[in-house]
Amino acid sequence: MAGKRKKVAVKEAVTTVVVMRLYIAGRAPNSVKAIANLEAICRQHLKDSYKLEIVDVCEHPRRALDDGILVTPSLAKLSPTPSAHVIGNLSDTSSVLAALGVQQAPAK
Amino acid sequence: MTGAPGPTVPAVAPDNAAAAFKAWLRRLVTDTAELEAFDAGEIDAVMDRHSVSALLLPEAQTALHDSSRIVLSAFDALPGEVCVLDAKGIVVMTSKAWRVSGVAHARAGLDVRTGENFFAACLDAPQNERAHADAVAVGLRKILAGAQRSLRVKYACPSPRGRSLFTLTMAATSVQGPVNALLTREWHGEPKQKVRRVAPTARVEAENRLLAALPAKDYAQLASGLEPVTITYGEVLYEPGEPMRDVYFPGNCLVSILTPVDGNRALEVGLVGREGMIGASLAMGAARSSVRALVQGTGIAMKMNARRFLREFRRSQALQRVLLHFTDRLMVQISQTAACNRFHLVEARLARSLLMTAERMRSSEFHLTHEFLAAMLGVRRVGVTVAAVALQRRGFIQYRRGNITILDAQGLETACCPCYRHLQVMNA
Repeated sequence: MAGKRKKVAVKEAVTTVVVMRLYIAGRAPNSVKAIANLEAICRQHLKDSYKLEIVDVCEHPRRALDDGILVTPSLAKLSPTPSAHVIGNLSDTSSVLAALGVQQAPAK
Repeated sequence: MTGAPGPTVPAVAPDNAAAAFKAWLRRLVTDTAELEAFDAGEIDAVMDRHSVSALLLPEAQTALHDSSRIVLSAFDALPGEVCVLDAKGIVVMTSKAWRVSGVAHARAGLDVRTGENFFAACLDAPQNERAHADAVAVGLRKILAGAQRSLRVKYACPSPRGRSLFTLTMAATSVQGPVNALLTREWHGEPKQKVRRVAPTARVEAENRLLAALPAKDYAQLASGLEPVTITYGEVLYEPGEPMRDVYFPGNCLVSILTPVDGNRALEVGLVGREGMIGASLAMGAARSSVRALVQGTGIAMKMNARRFLREFRRSQALQRVLLHFTDRLMVQISQTAACNRFHLVEARLARSLLMTAERMRSSEFHLTHEFLAAMLGVRRVGVTVAAVALQRRGFIQYRRGNITILDAQGLETACCPCYRHLQVMNA
């Protein structure tokens, strides 16, 4: 409990576990790029403090539709709130970081 | 790629089906952020609520198609014998080396192919390999259940050259998805290597009865010109009027001989499997094919260059004898088929055709589409449907999306026209 409070107090991205879900379409080019881009971003900015689930919409179309996904690749940040969405191959690192709530780089 | 200026539907007249499809997909996208990504070419698929499926953009479709071809050919180029299984133990893909060695050791039950269940193959293993096959099945269950990372099983089996030993390594893959286990076979040197080329049993490699009927010396002379190739369902080996560049000795594959009638229509007049060869008319002096040779069952065949074949044919009396005998039997089959097509009902002909296919494929399960069957029997697709439904209703076969399973071979034989029995007697 005490540890948890500490984490909130530090306010560093590294200490908060970011939970994400990436919707992709098999090994299609943008999907492959999205996975690579996201993994690079996570390695650099989130270290080990993230959880990523990859959902292949070709195999689980019902699940994607239930989650309100319309196009892929599509990244959903589920926690911490507020939740956010990024559409596309995630090549724009700054918009991905903004959506994930990582304030490491002084973008603005 | 389109670079459409605004959120409205692009007024570009689609110049091909792909562009039209893409424009249609774009209409399904409503959100601005999604549309921007779509127009920037960063989207692979759009979800469709009605069909509950992901609709791939044309670019993604071609990329996926190309990448799967690259993966398959790279996999085939691997020097080792590799087989990939899914969570249920179904073979997802195999390397070429695996397939070639599988055919060579088919009698030992090692010819496990894509789409087959590996556990079922273990159950089908010959009696004297029971213990090994059971050990493999038990090990594989552990691997697929995640109870063990990898396992090696030593396996002894009869081979064309006596008894062979190999190690089967089974490993769980860390990749999540359709691939769950990787099997590799490593052979520990076959015994009596010195008789490699002359060994009378080496012809078993081909599993082709014509080759098997040759005396050891004749086969040995022929062997260096034979190359194992995989021929696939739907592949055309010869077109009417075109030169026959290679001849084929089918192993576990099946080739349909079709005579073109008018334009696109053709009628099947013969069926050649392991009992024969494709291109025998070369030996009779023909340089061009008069028929279409269409692969009806995927499998391995021994291929030989036409010139080399003719040289061998002139040299070997045994080959001449074997080929003349086969040609005679093929003529019997062709004439019987011609008479059958004229006088017998579609249902009886379909039953005959299915039994002949099963016999040559040595399998009660195979793939034949409606179009294919219609061409084989010279009837319309509707005719095939009616006949197939009738046979299915009588419990003889099961027909689902072109996959045929013969449930009751004896029953099916009663539904056949007398031509089937006649051909059997003639070929005996």
